[in-house]
Amino acid sequence: MSKRNQTLVTRFATLACLLLTACGGGSGDDASVPDVGVPPPTPPPVVSKAQRDAASRLASQITFGMPFEQLDGMATMGDEVWLDTQLALPPTFHAPSIEAILTRREAGEFEPFENDIEYLIFARRLAWWHNTITAQDTVRQRVAFALSQIFVVSDRVDTLEVYPYALGSYYDTLLEHAFGNFRDLLEAVALSPAMGIYLSHVNNRRSDPVNNIFPDENFAREVMQLFSIGLFQLAPDGTVLRDANGDPLPTYDNADIAEFAKVFTGLSFDGSNSFFGNVDTPYFRAPMVMFDAEHELGEKRLLNGVVVPAGQSGLQDIDMALDNLFEHPNVGPFMSRLLIQRLVTSNPSPAYVQRVASVFNDNGSGVRGDMRAVIRAITLDPEARAAPTNAGSFGKLREPVVRYVSLLRQLGVSSPDGFIAPLGYFLQDVSQQHPLSAPSVFNFYLPDHTPAGPVADAGLVAPEFQITNSNTIVAYPNFIDAIVLGDFVTDTPDGFEPASLNFSPLIDIADDPEALVDRLDTLFHYGTLSPELRTIFIDAIREFDDMEFRVRIALYWVLTSPEYAIQH
Amino acid sequence: MDRRTFIQHSCALGATLPTLGTSLLSLASARTAAAQSASDYKALVCILLAGGNDSYNMLLPTDPDTYATYAAIRADLALPAQDLLPIAPLNANGRSFAVHPQMAALQSLFNNGDAAMVANVGTLLEPFDAAAVEAGRARLPVGLFSHADQISQWQTAVPDGRTSEGWAGRIADGLQAGNPANGIGMNISLSGSNVFQSGQSTDTYSISANGTGAIGINSYADGTGFGDYRKRVLDQILAMPQPHTLRGAFSRRLRESIENQQIFDAAMTQAQPFDTGFSAAPLSAALRQIARVISVRDVIGNPRQTFFVTIGGWDHHDEVLNNQARMLPQVANALAEFAQALKDINVFDQVTTFTISDFGRTMTSNGRGSDHGWGGHHIVVGGQVQGQHIFGDYPTLALANAPLDVGRGIYAPTTSIDAYFADLALWFGVAPSELDRVLPNVRTFYDPLSNTPALGLFG
Repeated sequence: MSKRNQTLVTRFATLACLLLTACGGGSGDDASVPDVGVPPPTPPPVVSKAQRDAASRLASQITFGMPFEQLDGMATMGDEVWLDTQLALPPTFHAPSIEAILTRREAGEFEPFENDIEYLIFARRLAWWHNTITAQDTVRQRVAFALSQIFVVSDRVDTLEVYPYALGSYYDTLLEHAFGNFRDLLEAVALSPAMGIYLSHVNNRRSDPVNNIFPDENFAREVMQLFSIGLFQLAPDGTVLRDANGDPLPTYDNADIAEFAKVFTGLSFDGSNSFFGNVDTPYFRAPMVMFDAEHELGEKRLLNGVVVPAGQSGLQDIDMALDNLFEHPNVGPFMSRLLIQRLVTSNPSPAYVQRVASVFNDNGSGVRGDMRAVIRAITLDPEARAAPTNAGSFGKLREPVVRYVSLLRQLGVSSPDGFIAPLGYFLQDVSQQHPLSAPSVFNFYLPDHTPAGPVADAGLVAPEFQITNSNTIVAYPNFIDAIVLGDFVTDTPDGFEPASLNFSPLIDIADDPEALVDRLDTLFHYGTLSPELRTIFIDAIREFDDMEFRVRIALYWVLTSPEYAIQH
Repeated sequence: MDRRTFIQHSCALGATLPTLGTSLLSLASARTAAAQSASDYKALVCILLAGGNDSYNMLLPTDPDTYATYAAIRADLALPAQDLLPIAPLNANGRSFAVHPQMAALQSLFNNGDAAMVANVGTLLEPFDAAAVEAGRARLPVGLFSHADQISQWQTAVPDGRTSEGWAGRIADGLQAGNPANGIGMNISLSGSNVFQSGQSTDTYSISANGTGAIGINSYADGTGFGDYRKRVLDQILAMPQPHTLRGAFSRRLRESIENQQIFDAAMTQAQPFDTGFSAAPLSAALRQIARVISVRDVIGNPRQTFFVTIGGWDHHDEVLNNQARMLPQVANALAEFAQALKDINVFDQVTTFTISDFGRTMTSNGRGSDHGWGGHHIVVGGQVQGQHIFGDYPTLALANAPLDVGRGIYAPTTSIDAYFADLALWFGVAPSELDRVLPNVRTFYDPLSNTPALGLFG
């Protein structure tokens, strides 16, 4: 993060504290209490509470949060129809939002603000947040975010931070292929200029043995380890296969990496007048292109005995190598487990993984890698749809980014200029998570991270605990405090209007603490709030007579409680 | 840690980590011994210059022939000879050296014997052998020249693979085994979660450079009516039994973090203020906070602590001269301010501060700056450090055919990070028999049971 951004974080944090102090006493203005004597007309109860709760739970797994008003519609449609409707929506791409911001910048709109060069950095962040919060295709946005944590690139590389289309176009690539075929997704990622920068296979030259220069192995390694097959051979249910000594069977060795590195040579940026390896301004809005003169000659030995013959074009080589990985039996179970972990549960049963992997292997029509079918299988699986229980270990710690976007969407966020404009630095500072800003290609957390104590003792993993340390776990409630008590809803840069939440529907029912808590139970806990915590909440909010403050403090307690922290 | 807790813990770990049991025993007894004597306190402070510091412009050769070669190789990146600040190493062997023109504070630390340099150190799996590399039979670190890998390997000391455990984390796994004093871990970070301090069973305690450092829940028990309310309700929520494993883990971690913050805050009220003596630059502010924490080491109660701080922005593919002229003095000044603060509270002998970085950079220029390299030079500061020495071998530079040059003036390391870290770890109190666990590849470069140190950083 640049120094300027650090300063921004500090400034916003300070502002939030000031706002908090101002309202910390909890005394409200009675004049703001609405007339609760005339309740708004309620629609006919065609949807049961149980159905509504079930819709809310489905939304927590596969969307960025659905407002209460939309739950009945979801429930009426039923899981499958609603999901298919979502899967059929066209992608809301992020690049047009970046373009709109850059147009405003070029028109001089941000020049009055100190160092408007920063708006180049802001553009892709603002676009991500605005689009993710407001997009109708929220399932696609959620899946793209999951994919962005598997196919990791990050703005911690300067070039990717300062050229807004680098990450914007990359994210659009994930959105475009989220419900397409995995093979196309893999190729789009491999040829993406952002990935080329991040894993340094852009301008990767063929071997020059005289000068002791060999192809860069960075991407070759990660495309296997992280983007397709993983380190170890897997059974169809995702369990690791072992040799007679109990050691895991590797999927490839260093010699294989060197061979794949040869395949990924000769790629450079597209764009007029570009030529290999000498581009002043990298072109990020189109896939990298092949410069065959820089591509490694000779044959390359791939996995499972496949050999790329000498004399092919560079793109033919890449095609064969990606086919080789795509056809590997590991891809189904490997990717299925990672996606299930990002959406539904940290510890899926082997049977759950196997059911999803079998859909990856064949969608029922003989097609391998159909991501739409995979997302359906993950979401509609009996293990995902079984009624939640407040015991056991099913589920996952909610990610900070998902928690934040969800609460904004669920609480009717709006802004006067219609653009919801967090920069995300405030969240990143308190939570160590921000889209496309992971510290390394290993994402914010490892899929097998296990916190010491009962989780480790039970042989379970809980990846998101890796960024939930003594600092962030306390900072997050203060972040919620700033939002719901301090009205510091978004860390918005100059030139955009701060956003606000719409508490009115909740204030309307706040006179009855039980009704308020039950509403929040449906919205955030999908009806699973434990009786003990429900009592604590009701007693805690009854202490305040101001209806608006009652809503605010109720939200604070709900959104910071351990029961909400875990999606189960 | 009492004996019963320790045995329980080592049994629990034993299920998943069969090789760790004996290690824990000897380290745990070392910890018990250490706890008996407050004067045995030691701290390691790791400063990560993230991005790959171009350290061939931080420590430079100045004997006329070598300087001329340096200047010819670096071309537009060469610093003028007359601007360099000479240093007086006691082991110069007839050569002469200088530091960057803006690092007067480092020049003083070095010449006063408070600081040493380690020359051309880097990640290695075996001693560099140009012929073996040529023949394709050399074992090289994974992802050489790649930021993500190299920045990680300097923290893990595992250049032949990828792991999320760092060598300070492995030390802590042995020393405190998940049972830190007062709940506050021995590994404290000023830069959030990091690989260096991550272990199997240990948490990094993250603090900030502001205030007392530890973040608390807003207004929690701050004496106001609302603060009392906040504490009362939150305590009720966190006291609830949680039959769900993940909820239980989350609830426990939140409860412990709030408790630890109260303990840490209380301890820090007794900290030396160090209101003067530190500049406001980020590294200075971080080291000031570390000095404050060290000043209450007896209250916190860990006889061993490591501290980690990252200062980023060293990936100077362009503008390397201007950026280094701005950033290197911040490092030198912060180190000098920190040394003085530690001397003021009589703990300078017990604290060793050292730098790490992704890699050195290409000696040759790309016309704007330098690119990713391999070996680089580093700084070690502390009262027990054999100061005024340059450890390791400063390479012989040559315009062409330098034996260590693997291309573009990338110099292969002559000292492995294992040798560098072995001295630090042994000084810190890791038993020689434990070194294999902390630094898995150390035996390639150093026999932990030998009676001579790897580099002699501490004499």
